[in-house]
Amino acid sequence: MNKMLLTGVLLALSGAGAVKVGALLPLSGAGSVTGQAARNGYLLALEEINKAGGVLGKPLEIEFADDGSSPAKAVPEFVKLVTVDKVEFMVGGVSSATSIAVSGPAKQYGTFMAWIGAAAVPVEDAFADHKYFFHYHPWSYYNFEAILDYFKHLRVTKKARNIAIAYEDGPFGSAGINDTVAAFKKAGFNVVMTEKFKTGSGNFGPIVSKAKAARPDIFYWVGYDTDALPLVTEIKQQNLQVGLIYGTPPSWPVGFEKNRLAENVAGLSLWLPSSPNAQSRAFVNAYRKKFGTVTEEYFAPLAYVNLKTLAAAINRAGSTDKDKVAAELAKTNTPTPFGTLTFTPSNKTRYQGFKAGNWLSFQYLGDDRVPVFPLKSAKKTTVWGK
Amino acid sequence: MELFFQTLLNGLLQSGLYALVASGLALAVGVVGIVNFAHGEFLMIGAFLAWALSTFLGVDPLVSLPFAALAVFGVGALTYRVSIRHVLLAPELNQMLLTFGLGILLQNLALIWLGGNTRTVTTPYQGSSLSLGELSVGGPKAVAFGLAVLILVALYGVLYRTTLGRQMRAVAQNRRGSQLIGIDVDRVYLLAFGLSCALAAVAGVLVATLLFASPTVGLVFALKAFAIIVMAGLGNLTGVLWASVVLGVSEALVQTYVPGGGGWSDAVFFLLIFVTLVYRSYRGAR
Repeated sequence: MNKMLLTGVLLALSGAGAVKVGALLPLSGAGSVTGQAARNGYLLALEEINKAGGVLGKPLEIEFADDGSSPAKAVPEFVKLVTVDKVEFMVGGVSSATSIAVSGPAKQYGTFMAWIGAAAVPVEDAFADHKYFFHYHPWSYYNFEAILDYFKHLRVTKKARNIAIAYEDGPFGSAGINDTVAAFKKAGFNVVMTEKFKTGSGNFGPIVSKAKAARPDIFYWVGYDTDALPLVTEIKQQNLQVGLIYGTPPSWPVGFEKNRLAENVAGLSLWLPSSPNAQSRAFVNAYRKKFGTVTEEYFAPLAYVNLKTLAAAINRAGSTDKDKVAAELAKTNTPTPFGTLTFTPSNKTRYQGFKAGNWLSFQYLGDDRVPVFPLKSAKKTTVWGK
Repeated sequence: MELFFQTLLNGLLQSGLYALVASGLALAVGVVGIVNFAHGEFLMIGAFLAWALSTFLGVDPLVSLPFAALAVFGVGALTYRVSIRHVLLAPELNQMLLTFGLGILLQNLALIWLGGNTRTVTTPYQGSSLSLGELSVGGPKAVAFGLAVLILVALYGVLYRTTLGRQMRAVAQNRRGSQLIGIDVDRVYLLAFGLSCALAAVAGVLVATLLFASPTVGLVFALKAFAIIVMAGLGNLTGVLWASVVLGVSEALVQTYVPGGGGWSDAVFFLLIFVTLVYRSYRGAR
């Protein structure tokens, strides 16, 4: 009895003062594939951090909360983590809409945020004056820079001229769409169609009919994983002749690569498991050891890097003082599965991690995502459908 | 002109799916007299069954269709026994709250057991289509449309040509009178509610083939089904097909010809509900 009591007291004492991190993720809803990939990345990082002695001499604790891919659910979950669970740092944040929604409470409570997703420019605006906001994921204009480089390459090699754009009507798809169109035009492309759609509606018949009439070389869509299969099915059913279908969902549907309709569909990723980089190989091995599988979702290594670098910064700071941790995190210069991570200012925020140079364009070929651009990382040349 | 005809065709094909979902809801409203807000969740169960049978046992979704319908009929009958029958005589608000709660419960059970991931089904005919000159008719959507017509004709046949159908119509008209002439009202309600859920499952199997399976997949279709039964007249089965066509074609026309129409297409069904209700109230006042 006494032994049990002593063990309980020791456990309670070891837990007292442990650093608590809150992770707000879309574990359900439209962004759930991304959220669950990120959750696995955090769990792997947590295990490694605690094996190596934890943070400030105590095991690091992480509290997960599901934002349901919905701003209405994200705000109460965020506030609960900060005020009830009393987490000292917040990580996660995948969707732009939910990130905008939590920007108010984040500023109200002066929350330290090491944020992995939310690429839309309105998020950058919302956090422009927040001094504890570290953004790991490239902003959408960096994504777009990478896409434009690829399309320019296709213009030279495949004579691609006409682009049809379909985008979801939420902040993820809509923010910056005018700039996207303008940039394509400035780069010498003809934007032959610009249409919005409701993500998850699955009703792409009319959009594909319009695209068919516009005869594009590239069909470029911005939406979520729920839209991928209905869109490519409709394209196939209506026999839309197009050189390349290019999508930028934060994640792809589970098992999409096994579907023959996915063949030659292209997309953008910050990372692929086939990356030859040493940190990437180490991550893939550690992930396989823990979960028994290999992930293709870049949000898994991104979350992993996110927690590891935050923990390292807290250890270097020697306390959980937000200013000290921010100063240390800002000094980060570390190799990661995506390349070297440093924080430099973006257009509006103070601490931006990865930028345009980290993106890869891939194509579904066989049952794999195969990098096709930039050429230095390409394993095959682009398969052109026209 | 080709774009116009393709748009009409897109709308018509989409309406098949809508009609399948709405026919079950119309049956629940028309016979049992209950507005089932959990109807989309029965569709979701059908979609997941199709996905599971296809992924783990390699069963083609079209082959799994009768099994999914039968299984969800069972789930619907059980739901009726343990919950719906107890509120049939309660105020309508209680009934609505019960089915709304059931919907949330089923959706969250799916989230807990299956996670929120989007699951897709792979079939060899998924991208198949027929060409009519320059027009394309998507194979699975054409099947959905044909199935919707067949099911509605069969339902009509059951309602007007069989004893069970006559009993259903009698119960829908006057519950107490039906009891007095010896109809087992409880059994009729159970069969009608189970059948309504089975129809949602049939739609779910097709949704899994055409789109995806996820815990929230039923919501969009259930909302549209409500618009359809309002347009058709609550409980009017024969009006479901034309109301579905009106909704499907209207959405397609808005998506194709209204600038930024993709964003407006989901507002179409609200607009149709609004116009229908206002028109009926205006006609009633005269």
